[in-house]
Amino acid sequence: MTNVSAPRPRSRGLKTWSSFGNLGRRPTEYEVLTWNMNHTAGSPALELGPDVNGNVWLREHRDGMRFVVPSWDAFRDPDQVTYGSYVAMQDDAETYVEGLLAQFDADGHDAALPGGALDVLAVALAPCRFLGHGLQMLSAYVQQLAPSSFVATAATFQTADQLRRVQTLAYRTTQLARAHPGLGFGTGERAAWREDPHWQPLRRLVELALVEYDWDRAVVATQLVVKPVADLLLLDALAHRLGAAGATLDALVLENLAKDARRSQRFSVALARFVVEADPGNAAVLQEYLDAWAPLGHEAVADGARLFAADEDDVARVRASVTQDWAGLVTDAGLRLPDA
Amino acid sequence: MLLTRDDWYELSRDVDWELDHVDRATAFPANWTGADGIPEKAWDAWEEPFRVSYRDYVRLQREKESGVKAVSQALVRSGTYEKLDPGHVAASHLHMGTTCMVEYMAVTMQSRMCRFAPTPRWRSLGVFGMLDETRHTQLDLRFSHDLLKHDPRFDWAQKAFHTNEWGVLAVKNFFDDIMLSADCVEAAMATSLTVEHGFTNIQFVALAADAMAAGDINWSNLLSSIQTDEARHAQLGFPTLQVLMEHDPQRAQQALDVAFWRSARLFQTLTGPAMDYYTPVDQRKMSFKEFMLEWIVNHHERILEDYGLAKPWYWDRFLLSLENGHHAMHLGTWFWRPTLFWKPNAGVSKAEREWLREKYPTWEDNWGVLWDEVIANVNAGRMDKTLPETLPSLCNLTQLPLGSAYSRHELAPHQLTYNGRLYSFDSEVSQWVFELDPERYAGHRTVVDRFIGGEIQPMSLEGGLLWMGLTPEVMGDDVYQYAWAREYAALVETEAGTLAGVPVAGE
Repeated sequence: MTNVSAPRPRSRGLKTWSSFGNLGRRPTEYEVLTWNMNHTAGSPALELGPDVNGNVWLREHRDGMRFVVPSWDAFRDPDQVTYGSYVAMQDDAETYVEGLLAQFDADGHDAALPGGALDVLAVALAPCRFLGHGLQMLSAYVQQLAPSSFVATAATFQTADQLRRVQTLAYRTTQLARAHPGLGFGTGERAAWREDPHWQPLRRLVELALVEYDWDRAVVATQLVVKPVADLLLLDALAHRLGAAGATLDALVLENLAKDARRSQRFSVALARFVVEADPGNAAVLQEYLDAWAPLGHEAVADGARLFAADEDDVARVRASVTQDWAGLVTDAGLRLPDA
Repeated sequence: MLLTRDDWYELSRDVDWELDHVDRATAFPANWTGADGIPEKAWDAWEEPFRVSYRDYVRLQREKESGVKAVSQALVRSGTYEKLDPGHVAASHLHMGTTCMVEYMAVTMQSRMCRFAPTPRWRSLGVFGMLDETRHTQLDLRFSHDLLKHDPRFDWAQKAFHTNEWGVLAVKNFFDDIMLSADCVEAAMATSLTVEHGFTNIQFVALAADAMAAGDINWSNLLSSIQTDEARHAQLGFPTLQVLMEHDPQRAQQALDVAFWRSARLFQTLTGPAMDYYTPVDQRKMSFKEFMLEWIVNHHERILEDYGLAKPWYWDRFLLSLENGHHAMHLGTWFWRPTLFWKPNAGVSKAEREWLREKYPTWEDNWGVLWDEVIANVNAGRMDKTLPETLPSLCNLTQLPLGSAYSRHELAPHQLTYNGRLYSFDSEVSQWVFELDPERYAGHRTVVDRFIGGEIQPMSLEGGLLWMGLTPEVMGDDVYQYAWAREYAALVETEAGTLAGVPVAGE
């Protein structure tokens, strides 16, 4: 219809999404791009018969949850991450790591690694790619049943962080295998992850969390137990130990990966606080779930510290420091970490 | 020594382990993996169709994001949108309302693959899929939000899937099924291979070309940028098809045949009218049928042949539908225009009809005669005859109106009774799909089922519109206010010589 003069559409424009209602302020870009995208809040959740696979799963594992939250979309990720800000932030982080890799390579870092450092790298660092994959699966589960797109989107970025960790570890493990053939880099990690007794409580924790399908319990297991314990132990404490042992490059790389973990922890704390504040009964439910999972977390810390600690005193120091930080996170969330 | 991606990639995907503390079948349940009947070792043959490092991904995507945002901001500021043809603009309303949430649903589907796919190689690629689909969701939302001040219809990018608008429910029904209820293997066949690798080209290539021709550089640019991601992650379906061909070729054939038909019907609704009616005629690049044949049909035939699969049994019926189905959906959506959240262009001016006749030799006989009645009613001021009084009967599979798969010459009913309930279908193909797996479809209630069940009150078209969330400021009407019918009125006047007083609607 180009041969008639068309009337212009009537302009009765909106300032923002009508579903914001009366927000009383201009929404942030993060809010505009994240708000109200869970379309499965009805009954049945999916536009299908009530007894199809997807609806049964959501009914059993999401809609039966014990958290009482009137408006899940009131949650906000403290970091307000959008896709655009995520790729920009992570590109900067990867550029930094790339720079580290180039600089330390030029300095012949790997060839000069002391034996003690190599042991820690082989036993504690390289097998973390299995742990990373486990955390990736767990994070994806938190995403896919999340009742709000604000929760789901933060979990999406957390999931992607885990792939970053796995690929970074694969890179470093390959470099170490080339610099030190015969030490089992690239070949021994699966056996370590599956058989080294110090890894086993952590592996058990990950495996059990994988089958925790009820979303409220899964959130507690992943966000308040598995992820913080694994990250505090095998990013922060391990970085510290590697630095002391002379594995400076890996210490710096882990410190950078730990920034992703810190973002995840802010998300976890905010989510738990949000749930606690949403209804007076929620705190007891969260605490009950945490009480059930915490002993496994404590075991993972206790044995995991032996993966890399320098001596018995160091084991105690690592345990104390990881437990203290974990307890701090749980306290920030408005809960209490049960004693080991 | 610094490494290239291929030096370390193999190790990064070597992350599976034998579970000792939980049962593998519980951790990877068949209702999500879709791996039932396929030996676990078979998945070792699953090779990534593309390799990408996280490092390269964030670098490249950051550049893409900056590019799209810069173009968009400049164009929104320059007021380009206000100069666009309103017929064309309806295509972007329709796209944003029906696609934005589907992008978000795809995040969740990719997340399911990331958690439950039967090989870690696939699980890891799922991460990039999650990120890509988050990007597409947020691109659509930003685009639509930027234009809200010009048109409240862009509110539907965010709102549509929270309403009961019937077209949106049809889209939701299909994608809830193949993205959010299907297991990973079937989702790969239906969504990755059929929809993303095939049909979305119509949205992201054909519509992008039409949008560019129509001067909608902002939308065209967005669609093209999304396509660069789709082209990558849509390939996820191929290695899965390879595994299925080794171990369960019958399942592959069936999954693809079902998905192809259902996708074809849906895109006849979503894209056919936009390409062949809404895009201004002098700006159309290809007809919907031409594009389908070149980009979707040939391509699908090639995949089937390459993998040793047969053409679907319904191929002749599909080709007949390709000639007609979107014309039916266009006539239907235009007639039921108060149930839309965009303003459709009838697209049947003389010049447009000439184009339609050239592209579709059967168009006049199949569709032109029906439009002639509409035109006569419009020109005679009988607007009530051009508007619906109630809702159309819908297919229990596609959720599209009965009679909309073929032409007016093919209206044989397709019905069956299952567990005491009568089900109706828009075609024998849709009925065949239902019969393959009745439990999957039988429990769903169409809009008409809900209407008859008394859920929609008052039980009138007005009640239906209210239930669908259609408010006056977005409710569909003819975008040119029937101005296109005048040239036919003039013709009648000249021929009859006595009809000078015939009122023309919209005046």
